[in-house]
Amino acid sequence: MAWITKNSGTMQIETREEPYLDDELKAEIEANIIPRYPDRRAATLPTLHAVQHKVGWLPTQALKEIADFLGSAPSEVMDTATFYEEYWLKPKGKYVIWLCQSISCELMGRDTIMSKIKAKLNIEPGETTEDGKFTLMNVECLGSCGTAPCGLVNEKLHENMTVDNIDQILDSLE
Amino acid sequence: MALQEPVLTKRIPTPPFGDFSQRKLNSYEDFVATGGYAALKKAIDMQPSEIIDIMKASELRGRGGAGFPAGVKWSFLPPQDGKPRYLAVNSDESEPGTFKDRMLLDFDPHILLEGIAICMRACQLDTTYIYIRGEYHHQAKVLNKAIDEAYANNIFGPNSIMGKINDREPRCFVHRGAGAYICGEETALLNSLEGKRGWPRIKPPFPAVAGAFGRPTIINNVETLAMCGPIIDKGVDWFKTMGVARPDGVPPHVPASYGPKLIGVSGHVNRPGVYEENLGITVREMIEKYCGGMRNGKKFKSCVPGGIAMGVLSTDQIDAPLDFDIGKKFGCLGLGTAGVIVMDEDTDMVAVARNIVRFFSHESCGQCTPCREGSNWVYKTLCRIEEGNGTTADLDLLLEVSGSQGAMPGTTICGLADGTNWAIKTILNKFWSDFESRVSVSTIAGYSLPVLA
Repeated sequence: MAWITKNSGTMQIETREEPYLDDELKAEIEANIIPRYPDRRAATLPTLHAVQHKVGWLPTQALKEIADFLGSAPSEVMDTATFYEEYWLKPKGKYVIWLCQSISCELMGRDTIMSKIKAKLNIEPGETTEDGKFTLMNVECLGSCGTAPCGLVNEKLHENMTVDNIDQILDSLE
Repeated sequence: MALQEPVLTKRIPTPPFGDFSQRKLNSYEDFVATGGYAALKKAIDMQPSEIIDIMKASELRGRGGAGFPAGVKWSFLPPQDGKPRYLAVNSDESEPGTFKDRMLLDFDPHILLEGIAICMRACQLDTTYIYIRGEYHHQAKVLNKAIDEAYANNIFGPNSIMGKINDREPRCFVHRGAGAYICGEETALLNSLEGKRGWPRIKPPFPAVAGAFGRPTIINNVETLAMCGPIIDKGVDWFKTMGVARPDGVPPHVPASYGPKLIGVSGHVNRPGVYEENLGITVREMIEKYCGGMRNGKKFKSCVPGGIAMGVLSTDQIDAPLDFDIGKKFGCLGLGTAGVIVMDEDTDMVAVARNIVRFFSHESCGQCTPCREGSNWVYKTLCRIEEGNGTTADLDLLLEVSGSQGAMPGTTICGLADGTNWAIKTILNKFWSDFESRVSVSTIAGYSLPVLA
């Protein structure tokens, strides 16, 4: 839920020497993304996507670096980053399984697939396996209702999922 | 009358004109070879105001849900003042049951780009942002490739065949969202485009006056823009041979339901998918003629006519025609996006209501209290009914909340709370006995309700 606030008042921010938003990434964004918009703040979403793509998630230090880069306040970047479901403010597994839970998928039996995945990976939705390989998530409509039940594994969409082919899908992931 | 020739699905094989398995991505060359960008060349020879007049005369209604006439929207723009003006394409297709734009983006992205170019020329907009939902990873890549092709072939860019628009080179970019249903609401989309959280804005000012970055902005759905090319190419009279004409005696300012429409059918049917048909086709025809009938030979129980915010149709409303008047005639909110979700006789309507309200409660942006809190409480109440612990008082409460202007509906900035309540209201009213049989306890005296977390 987008509006749950974080305890940013008391939380300790872990930092490291090496920046998350390095010069190479900055140069790329400066050249390709920034000129698209009339102001720098509009590049917040693309920049968050780019950093998350590189780092895997969005550490608080990275949010501050993005704020400095775009000339926003760190709180403004955090405000944006916490709103959207796709931005990870804590580390996630190597593969994130997003299983659709909306109406078409539920009508077509997504619950049995969820039970199967839960049993196989021994985690609940929202959790990551101990080896850090899989994170399981419930997600609302993925826009693939005609081929329900469906789910995303990282960026790849799997359609017409069944309790049989979910095994193959999970086993094929290294 | 059935659709005589495919329009938007001209290059996307769709029954009865082709087969799903033959669908493939159409490149720039494929698109041009089948008559693509001819409409844009035609539009370049016209005055911008002529294009807007054609769009107005066609009475093309927005395909994104609200059904507002596109040509009228285009004419709301203030005169040019030398500063930038924007087009934002709404491709944040997130309403459950809706997957029509995805098909266009997957297989024929240039039909959208042609529509974008025509709109930019007609309204004198210099920059386009295609706001695509974050989950459409593949579609964003396809679209980026198509835009590169369009730049390489001078549709956009410094040497554009359209020349300078608004004294600037015409540009087109993809802007990816990051997983928020509310960003499909036009003003939330603008906030998201500006790098802020996707909170809807209070209107007025309308986006045509002060939209993205405070500048005049037109926002249209993918399918609406895709329809511009065929209308410019073949004309208004051709367009008006399809769909539902205005009934006799209705004044001309009331928009009718002309044209074909992409209809996505999902749920308990044998062959779900996106089909193209004239507006006015009935739900029964869609299921029987296109979708191969109900799955497992079951009986029809209910369907959502166009995205879950529109509510549901009852069992005896299977012959309802899918056009923009469906809301007035059949007690639902409207046609929406024409994403039809079919449910068979074994479907538990309490679970359907619970699922729908969970969606809205999850996707509420949190800006307005009645929606943020209300949808969550309604969800909890429906969970309790589903578990068998509901009371008849719960049903009365749900009806009162969802039916009273000033409770949840009508107290919020955008329409999300209204959608939630239309869904509850229609399901409760049309399937009252399903709910009544689940609430065994008529009073809460002496009965301990489960603690609500």
